[in-house]
Amino acid sequence: MARNDSLETGELTDTSFYILLSLVEARHGYLIMQNIEELTDGGFSIGPASMYTTIKKLLSAELIEQYGDGKGKRKTYIATDKGLKLLEKDIKRREQMIFHAKQVLNQKGDRLG
Amino acid sequence: MKKKYVVSRGLAFGEEKDMAKLTSYAKQGWVLERFAPFGFLLKKGKVQHLSFAVDYNKDPDDEYFAYFEQAGWTHMCSGVDYIHVFSSPEGTQPIYSDRETTLEKYEVEKKNTGMVALPSLIATILLFICGNLEGVSGLMEEVLIWSGFATMIVFVFSGMPYVGYRYKLSKVRKGWGK
Repeated sequence: MARNDSLETGELTDTSFYILLSLVEARHGYLIMQNIEELTDGGFSIGPASMYTTIKKLLSAELIEQYGDGKGKRKTYIATDKGLKLLEKDIKRREQMIFHAKQVLNQKGDRLG
Repeated sequence: MKKKYVVSRGLAFGEEKDMAKLTSYAKQGWVLERFAPFGFLLKKGKVQHLSFAVDYNKDPDDEYFAYFEQAGWTHMCSGVDYIHVFSSPEGTQPIYSDRETTLEKYEVEKKNTGMVALPSLIATILLFICGNLEGVSGLMEEVLIWSGFATMIVFVFSGMPYVGYRYKLSKVRKGWGK
């Protein structure tokens, strides 16, 4: 696999984040996209080539694994313990970002108000 | 059945322009049928409003194609079971939706073409040097020089795409999401 840039630094891209989140439960690979669109009300969607590439990356980083022995289109994936840990860590990182943003914006609001 | 041949600019250099050309032909009812040497073969059908996209995958299985199908992209044709062209109704979400995976697409192609370009360049240089050494017999000289021309052709056809993909990568790095 070429590069795992962000996976190596322990950060998930938005694409990997939503895929990993969808795979907290076992799911057919090709149905992950549909799940993400439903979950985000169409707000976030992943192109099929990006989906395929990211799934391969997550597999090679052992963040997800194949579930059962389906072949081809029937392949099913699920997040590994390592994947779940990284997901939790990334959720915290994202919460921190929101926290910081709110802090700054609230201060600005106070000054104006 | 009427057919038309259109020449490709080479996907490494003119991917977007080639795809746009396929879109405009489809609007006139000429729809992509398959790859042809240095271009595409189109066949006359009904007028369609389609977007086209190309992807590379050396061992595609049903799973790979299922992702595209699910997202509304129809597989049109493949070249040497490695280059795959898809089409979708205009306005469908692009096949690559983030910077990281788009970079990876071209990184892999850059690496693959580079792995052919560099050795063929070295071979060309060595063959020409050896062919011009003093003391090489006439026949041997011919063989070396002609082999040098052969590896030079390999170099041109791998080196040019290599440069194309490098350029593409720098464009994606600078421009994504801006």
